Amino acid sequence: MENITLQNISLAIGILVILIGLWGLLTQKNLIKIVIGFALFDTGIHIVMVSIGYIKNRTAPIIDSAVDMNNASNLVVDPIPQALVLTAIVIGLGITALMLSYVLKMYQKKKSLDITNYKDLKW
Amino acid sequence: MVGPIYIIAIALGTAFSLGFFKNANRNISFSLMFLAMAFLTFISGQWLYAFLTQQQETIQIFTAGFKPPFSISLQMGFHEAVFLTMINSLGLLSAIYLFDHLREKGVNMMMVFMLLFMGLNVVVMTRDIFNLFVFLEISSIALVGLIILEKKQDAISSGFKYLIASGVISGILLIGIVATYYYSGSLYINDLISANLSLVKGGSVAVFLIMIAVILELKPFPANGWALDVYQSVNAGIGPIISGGIATASLFILYKLLPIGGDAWLLPIGITGVISFLGSNFLGIKQKSSNRILAYSSISQVGLLMIIMSLSTSLGDKFEFVFFSVLISQYLAKAGLFWIAGIINKDEIDDWNILKKSPGLIVLVGIFMFTLLGLPPFPAFYGKWELIMNLSQSGNFVWVGIILLGSLFEAIYLLRWFGKILIKQDNLEDLKIKFHKLIPVIFVSFAILLFSYLTAKWSGLIGIKYYIPFIIALLIFAFDFLPVFIKNIAAISTVAWYSYVLIYQTYIPENDILRIVFGSIFLIGAIIMLIPGFTFKGKRQGFYPLVILMFSGLAGLIEARTTFQFFFAWEIMTLASYLLIIRGKNAVKPSFNYILFSMAGAFTMFAGFGLAFAETGSISLNALADVLVYANWAYALIAIGFLVKIAAFGVHIWLPSSYAEADDDVTSMISAILIKSGVFGLIILMLSMSLKNAVSPNIPYVLGWIGAIGALIGNMMAIYQEDVKKLIAYSSIGIMGYILFALSMMSHMGWLTAFTYSIVHFLYKGLLFLAIAGVIYRTQTRNIYEMGGLIKRMPLSFISVLIGIITLAGMPPLAGFAGKWMFYNAVIMKGWYLQGAIVFFSGIVAFLYCFKLIHNIFLGPLKDNHRKLKEASIWWLIPQFILIIGIMVISVYPKIVVEPIGQYLSMYFPNDGLVWDGTTASTRLGYWDATKIMTVFAGMFGVLFIILYSMSRKTQLVEQFNIVFQGERPERPETTHYAHNMYAPYNKALGFLTAPFITSAWKFVYESIHSISDQVRKFYTGNGQTYAMHIIIYVVVFYLFINGGF
Repeated sequence: MENITLQNISLAIGILVILIGLWGLLTQKNLIKIVIGFALFDTGIHIVMVSIGYIKNRTAPIIDSAVDMNNASNLVVDPIPQALVLTAIVIGLGITALMLSYVLKMYQKKKSLDITNYKDLKW
Repeated sequence: MVGPIYIIAIALGTAFSLGFFKNANRNISFSLMFLAMAFLTFISGQWLYAFLTQQQETIQIFTAGFKPPFSISLQMGFHEAVFLTMINSLGLLSAIYLFDHLREKGVNMMMVFMLLFMGLNVVVMTRDIFNLFVFLEISSIALVGLIILEKKQDAISSGFKYLIASGVISGILLIGIVATYYYSGSLYINDLISANLSLVKGGSVAVFLIMIAVILELKPFPANGWALDVYQSVNAGIGPIISGGIATASLFILYKLLPIGGDAWLLPIGITGVISFLGSNFLGIKQKSSNRILAYSSISQVGLLMIIMSLSTSLGDKFEFVFFSVLISQYLAKAGLFWIAGIINKDEIDDWNILKKSPGLIVLVGIFMFTLLGLPPFPAFYGKWELIMNLSQSGNFVWVGIILLGSLFEAIYLLRWFGKILIKQDNLEDLKIKFHKLIPVIFVSFAILLFSYLTAKWSGLIGIKYYIPFIIALLIFAFDFLPVFIKNIAAISTVAWYSYVLIYQTYIPENDILRIVFGSIFLIGAIIMLIPGFTFKGKRQGFYPLVILMFSGLAGLIEARTTFQFFFAWEIMTLASYLLIIRGKNAVKPSFNYILFSMAGAFTMFAGFGLAFAETGSISLNALADVLVYANWAYALIAIGFLVKIAAFGVHIWLPSSYAEADDDVTSMISAILIKSGVFGLIILMLSMSLKNAVSPNIPYVLGWIGAIGALIGNMMAIYQEDVKKLIAYSSIGIMGYILFALSMMSHMGWLTAFTYSIVHFLYKGLLFLAIAGVIYRTQTRNIYEMGGLIKRMPLSFISVLIGIITLAGMPPLAGFAGKWMFYNAVIMKGWYLQGAIVFFSGIVAFLYCFKLIHNIFLGPLKDNHRKLKEASIWWLIPQFILIIGIMVISVYPKIVVEPIGQYLSMYFPNDGLVWDGTTASTRLGYWDATKIMTVFAGMFGVLFIILYSMSRKTQLVEQFNIVFQGERPERPETTHYAHNMYAPYNKALGFLTAPFITSAWKFVYESIHSISDQVRKFYTGNGQTYAMHIIIYVVVFYLFINGGF
């Protein structure tokens, strides 16, 4: 039971979300669902990143009344992964938005949301 | 100096400020973007200059006032400066190329364009791995942003595939980065390297994720369908940005992060590269879309660069050179080809013959393709040489084989494409070329020439004098507007001067008989064969530079002292002769056969040289004699290269149609002169073999059989030909069979025969082809059945052919008999009776086609339309009579040629030579006195002539249409010739010998490769999800491979 810590639970959930996202990305035929799959995949990665930076019994890396500035490094979780996650979320957002605009363009050209209709180039 | 940080500031600032312009004035916004790109190029260029000249130290730029790992740091070192200069100058050229496209699409595209290049710059400079991830994403987003602005449906759907795939890859990279951070506590790349994560438990998975993501960014085969579709569908101006910008930057990422993985990753990366190189080139051969071919080629070249990177330690101080020479070739040539594809704006390579109307662009396409193929004198040639030598030395023979095979596949699709450009077609549309699109193309072609010079110098493999032929060729090319007459004089005087320097000043004082003999055949032969050029009218654009290159290649063979120099000259000669043949009217297909066989032969030779180097550690030609362990393999591989050139049995099928379809004077050059390069090569090789006993006697034995069968088959084929050029071509195969057979006897008399045959073959084959070419030039046909009775119209040509065939048939008193007599002696002394019998029999067969030449063309009734024919032009006749003089001199005094050769050969084969006594030569089997024979013959001829002439008064001259003497009932046009199909009875008896089974066998190989390629490529289904699946499978397989799952 020792292994069931907050960190491991979030890590497991993160990996699960990654796999669900990947499954959606690879199997769904609908373009919108594929984009959702990608968003889930991305979110899963973010959860994994946050959980990796977590240190047991520590608080958020914000220096305020709860955290003494001189002893901060012993009280807070690792701030770096959290900072990285913020950037990663922004990038993920950008990519998701771009994907959706692609879906829009594709739909406008062919009036279809089925990815199997977009195989003009191959081999 | 301007700090590298300004690269980011300027790019970002420009991108944002472009937004203010909206689409108000696109000229201003384009100028702004262009200036910013130029400034980026300037900054990186000035750093490069500083590193090259001032011993500048690598600098680190720390942002936010902290040192890493607490801040992001950028690094500017020599390698960074090289890559940035490449990327930014590509951006600048792309901006010029895309001038109207960018203006049409407006500021949005310009912003995205700037962001893309900013992203790539940071990716190269940053030393922070998360920062690297961010800017890699920015570059990807910017690229996909460029694609979405295309508004083409193909481009949009492939952009979506790209997004899915790169999304998955960046997810893997991100997890990898966080995991590495977890294990090392830093994002600073230098810290990650020193942390040695692979040794930490769990850390190896983190490293794996980063490395595999970086590898996937390089679009390795077969997990690269997404990239191929993008390459194919985007605007041709964006292709170079992907292949020259993004791929170059991705390679730098691999280079930068490789130390994190450590040496354990070198082999996997090398294997990835090998698979990519072979696989992409293999699938490339079935492609028809120009952009897609370029995509396959880009991926294969990246694979090659990965191989080189994986060898960084064993290449040692040559690594930078090898890597750079291949990289710069791929970078420049690929950009040039993409840009030309955009100018043509036709996707199918079948439509590329629209270029026919702009020969300048064809020259550029040629330069780019030969650069990609790594042919000399282009940069990749030197790099590939060092690579193959290094791989051989470290015993990686399988890799050598795979790389050479992949290169051959690449040659198939690129050269077939090149051929398609030259196919003649009427009613071609006009090609509208915008000037701004031409600027970058011309720029990169000059850059290629510059880097060819620089890499050659850097390699230190050849001296400055190897550039002289190229300078002369370029000079002639620059003066190509001059009429043929002047250029021909210039070419002849150049060759004459060079033969004076080479033969008279160098080799005659050294008494190097081998080089005097072949130097004379190559260079004095060149002078003789250039004389007919005076008959051509107009400009003959492009002909003379190629001729100069071909003969300088041949001269280079003579001069070569190292295997590198030899191979260099060999490739130059092959390439130039290919380009000369392809100029013929219907020569596209035959020349393709020629170059494919030649390339394959050159590659086996290359592998052989590699083996020799692996053992001796020396590239000196003399060191070939020191090979012991690999002797049989090395000699056999090298020999194959020469066998292809002399069209030995089995690899002969390229020859007849190439000879037939080449221009007439080109045919004389290649048949009389060029083919001897193979003989020369074999002699060089077999001299090495003769010096020791370690080599298996099987090789000469097998060569002997190949020669004997070649002699028979070549001659048998020749007798049935109705195309006169093909007839002589097949006879060349036969004679080359004799020479090969003679050489392979490895005895004094055998070699004496081979030398004599080489000289005599040069004389009479040149004579025959020139005479026949003169006839073809007048009759405008190559079909024998459309000729006949020409003796009265062209008596001088008749005399030439008569002398030519008497020599060829080896009948006394002419020089051919000298060869034959020695040949009989050699065979009997050697005791190869069975093979010897075959060769003797084929000598009899030769009489049949010799007779056909004289009988069918010059005797019999004259054709109606030939009644007013004139004798061949004086420019065809002069060289013929020079050659006749040569034949006569050797016929009367063979001693002047044969004796010095014999003395030379005694150094290698001291026993059983000829003994000379006055004009009499004798062996232990018998004697022969050419001068006496000639005197007797001349006397008999004189007597007979007088008798016949005195009888001629009784002759009754009959008109041609006197049907008492001519009974014919023609059915088809060819049957109106009285001697059409004259050897049909022999064909019934011995036809099985001439069944084209060798041709069928090669055709089967060629078509099998194509159909397998066609089947294999079907796994690129075009579905974005399948492509993502390929990536996942690739990762899993790779993981299992790395961790010993297999």
